[in-house]
Amino acid sequence: MNFRFLTIVSVLLCATIGRAQTPIEFFQAHCYECHDKDSKQGDLDFTSLKLNGADPESFARWVKIHDRIEAGEMPPKSKPRPPAAEITRATKLLAESLIKAEQAKLAGEDLTGVRRLTRAEYENTVRDLFDMSGIPLQGDLPVDGSAHGFDKNSDALDISHVNMAKYVEAADRTLDMAITTQPKAPTVTKQRISLANPAGFVAHVLMNGDGVLLKNKQPDPDFPPAGEQNHLDQGAHERLGSFRNGASVGLFRHEDESFHPYFIEFVALYPGQYRMRTSLWSFQWDKGKVLPGRGTEAARLSVVQLSGDGRGGGHPSYVLGYYDAPSMNEQEHEVVTWLNYKETIGFNAASLAPTANYSRKGRAMAFTGPGITCDWFDIEGPLHDTWPPASHRVLFGELPIVEFKPADHPDVRPPRRIPVRREVGAGKNEPDKESGIWTVHSEQPLVDADRLLATFLPRAFRRPVDAETRQGYVARVQLRLKAGDCFEAAMRWAYRAALCSPDFLYHVEPTAKLDDFALASRLSYFLWNSMPDARLWELAGANRLHTPDLLHSEVERMLKDPRSQRFVEDFLGQWLKLRQIASTDPDRKLYPEFSAYLQDSMVAETRAYFRELMDQNLDASHLVKSNFAMLNEKLAVHYGIPGVSGSQIRRVPLPPDCPRGGFLTQAAILKITANGTTTSPVPRGAFVMARLLGKPPDPPPANIPAIEPDVRGARTIREQLEKHRTDTVCASCHAKMDPPGFAMESFDVIGGFRSQYRSIGEGDPAPRGSIDPFIGISFKLGPAVDPSGILPDERAFQDIVQFQSLMASDSRQLLKNLTEQFAIYATGRDISFSDRSQMAAIVAATEQQGGGVRTLIHQLVQSRFFQTR
Amino acid sequence: MNIERSTVLLKLFRTQAALAALMAFCCCSVPLVLADEAPQTVDPIKHQITGLFSPDRVRDLKEVFEKLPNIKLIKVDFENAEATVEYDPAKAFPGARSDQIVERFDNQLRGVSNSTFGVKPLRTIEKEKLTLIEIPIVGLDCKACCLAAYESVYKLPGVERATASFKEGRVTALVNPEMIDRVELEKALKQRGVQLPSP
Repeated sequence: MNFRFLTIVSVLLCATIGRAQTPIEFFQAHCYECHDKDSKQGDLDFTSLKLNGADPESFARWVKIHDRIEAGEMPPKSKPRPPAAEITRATKLLAESLIKAEQAKLAGEDLTGVRRLTRAEYENTVRDLFDMSGIPLQGDLPVDGSAHGFDKNSDALDISHVNMAKYVEAADRTLDMAITTQPKAPTVTKQRISLANPAGFVAHVLMNGDGVLLKNKQPDPDFPPAGEQNHLDQGAHERLGSFRNGASVGLFRHEDESFHPYFIEFVALYPGQYRMRTSLWSFQWDKGKVLPGRGTEAARLSVVQLSGDGRGGGHPSYVLGYYDAPSMNEQEHEVVTWLNYKETIGFNAASLAPTANYSRKGRAMAFTGPGITCDWFDIEGPLHDTWPPASHRVLFGELPIVEFKPADHPDVRPPRRIPVRREVGAGKNEPDKESGIWTVHSEQPLVDADRLLATFLPRAFRRPVDAETRQGYVARVQLRLKAGDCFEAAMRWAYRAALCSPDFLYHVEPTAKLDDFALASRLSYFLWNSMPDARLWELAGANRLHTPDLLHSEVERMLKDPRSQRFVEDFLGQWLKLRQIASTDPDRKLYPEFSAYLQDSMVAETRAYFRELMDQNLDASHLVKSNFAMLNEKLAVHYGIPGVSGSQIRRVPLPPDCPRGGFLTQAAILKITANGTTTSPVPRGAFVMARLLGKPPDPPPANIPAIEPDVRGARTIREQLEKHRTDTVCASCHAKMDPPGFAMESFDVIGGFRSQYRSIGEGDPAPRGSIDPFIGISFKLGPAVDPSGILPDERAFQDIVQFQSLMASDSRQLLKNLTEQFAIYATGRDISFSDRSQMAAIVAATEQQGGGVRTLIHQLVQSRFFQTR
Repeated sequence: MNIERSTVLLKLFRTQAALAALMAFCCCSVPLVLADEAPQTVDPIKHQITGLFSPDRVRDLKEVFEKLPNIKLIKVDFENAEATVEYDPAKAFPGARSDQIVERFDNQLRGVSNSTFGVKPLRTIEKEKLTLIEIPIVGLDCKACCLAAYESVYKLPGVERATASFKEGRVTALVNPEMIDRVELEKALKQRGVQLPSP
């Protein structure tokens, strides 16, 4: 029945759209010459092409026709230009037809489809709901798809039995971690751990000269630096306490494939917040002498997950941060972070060049170079302000935790308990002794269940929950209690069901205009990538969130909140593809200066720059050009900018004519758009068109092979492309795509500026430049880089600086694209042709107020587009 | 002579153990009566100590013995790697038979010294029958490295005592020449990574 009805509707719809008006006279006068049934250039025949709104391919083709005429690309330059009024009339008529066709197709449909939470949204939501800021969940969920550039689109967010199985596992893990099983908080332990702790790799390299023990900033007399001879037998040294005598550890070697320093005498047993402190300084080692260093070095602390596979390249880990180690002056650092079971802390002397004295003659006593010292590392935790923790109270409120004695409850199954065990032998911290089974107690189980669920469900589902729905969950509890479960176990059933329900897993939004709760959710998933907080919830409950002034102040509050960093990271990860930063490993011979520290700095720069655009409300021209950059010392040296010291990213003014500023010249973008060995103007140009200008090029024809750059340095990529562009099929796209890529040829695969290509074959000897003197160089310099080009509108540029200026002059297009990227990300749907007027209105309103990025976010949030499903 | 002394000592241990058992019984039965009595006195006894590879280890040994409240260190004879101690076997090694005392003592000393010191029975072969072998070595002036070099030889059958010093550049071993020779000692050192100077 329904199928028949839909078929009839579709037929009627097609018929209606088929009669849509197209500017026939315009086509006859200006297009038929090349696009009739005889010429059919570009496989386009206007005499037979009909606008069929129900056919996505047909509709997209007509949109393209509209856009090319509107942009002045068609008729081509070689043909007479139609009068402007004629073009306006034709495009207006075409636009009206397209909108009419689209609206007919979309009649009765929601613009944003039903969509589930992304992996990141799911994890953040659970973290915020239970106040467990570091529970790891998304890594075990299936990877989300992507549509229109983002994983938030309903087209990309399908769900399968695999997803469901994983959601059940994730819910169980969440509840395991959230529900407390002890009446008292775990004992807070404090440990001071030497970097030379025997199981943490460092002791071994100290024995062989990749580091030294220091006392009072001099070599430890009890542990002389390894020289012609190394130290014998690590076990003998451990037993005699060589690594436990309070000496500081100076390292010359950074982390590599076979060296992963861990503070493994601490391995977390209880999930929670831990406070870490460490004291760092740097020095210059000169064959046995400790001298002032070359400046401030940087060490990295990371969270290492020992539950993962540690073979070949270390265990899975994530960076906590980079910390300064000033020359000869200890600097103490403190960080509080969440740790999970079996996580420990890793250390990396990050800013040092690769060094291996291990098998070198004379070892440390023959080595001259920088070192980073860790005096000590303290860790304290788990830290709890209250007990039971907030995660438990979310589920059980203030119900008491009492000892469950099976003898007193012969008909009740005790709650499941898994004792905390120390699985990693190297860890010295011990679990608390547990006695008895402790669990939450209720005198009136069903009354309490109803009360607890009445609080929990609306928060979890991000909107009010009716009594009938709640009763469904209470009924589950009742069922389990009758089956012999204790109160905690029975409630777990209900909570697990809630966490696996569509109400939790999906963005449930009303049709058309969003109500205040849906608006709160859309706002929080846009700017925090997570659920609304108590303030948003309160405003939604009072039906006040739609008030423009209030909405404005809420956006301001949310952007100032640390949770907005999730937006920065998630949005940039997709818009500028930062998630792909590690997808290529630069060739070590061509780019020996590349390091993990440089890569992490690259990402930090792009994130900090975007944050600065928002915080300072800078206009869209800054996407491609600016007089400042966000740098730390590592990047500043990489970019050849003097006067920046330390590991922390800060705003740095750029010298005049500096080829930096804006996303195009940031090392992260330049690395992402290269393949690790070579660059090509094609992918870089395509990136600029798609990501910054919002004009993605068509995919290449199937029978045209990709161009492989010549790494031997014999021919430049430009020379190869010139040949490629003689093919008329390729020329039209490459005329747009190549110029941005040519300008970006001034930067190599790791974002270094170059005037000649590096080569591993022929070429001139390469000067060291800013490359660390302790890094060996074997590459040569090949042909010169030519960064000049001509834009499709005939504007020429000689270099990247001129290209940036040309791009910046088209700030409206940049702003328009950014508006669309924000809109897609925020609403989870693509921009339809009919939406263009709304996008234009947002752009215009933003421009009226100065065109700033922060203003744009406000304008988007206030728009009908944002507030409508 | 050493054998005779050992036999006497074993007999003494047995007597002391019996006394200790009696005392324990009395303590449990009539504690008020014994509260003001003088403590039991014990005779000094000598043991061979492992881990005394250099003179500065004597101080380490004294520090280690402070962690053994029931055993008193009287004297250390570095030249013979022997220590004279006092203890009440019933307190120091409760429940141990006399033939288990050395093993239990060794366990305790290893436990408090991270296995850098140990106890073994006094040597049974006369010193005059032993040969002192001195082997030049090169390496870092590091106590733990010396321990490593020492440990590579002192456990070998036929080695009665040994010293190691990279500062002085030598390992010495007092050996029973019928059981071991220089070649085997050098082989063991090399296996541990100890570098011997080129001839």
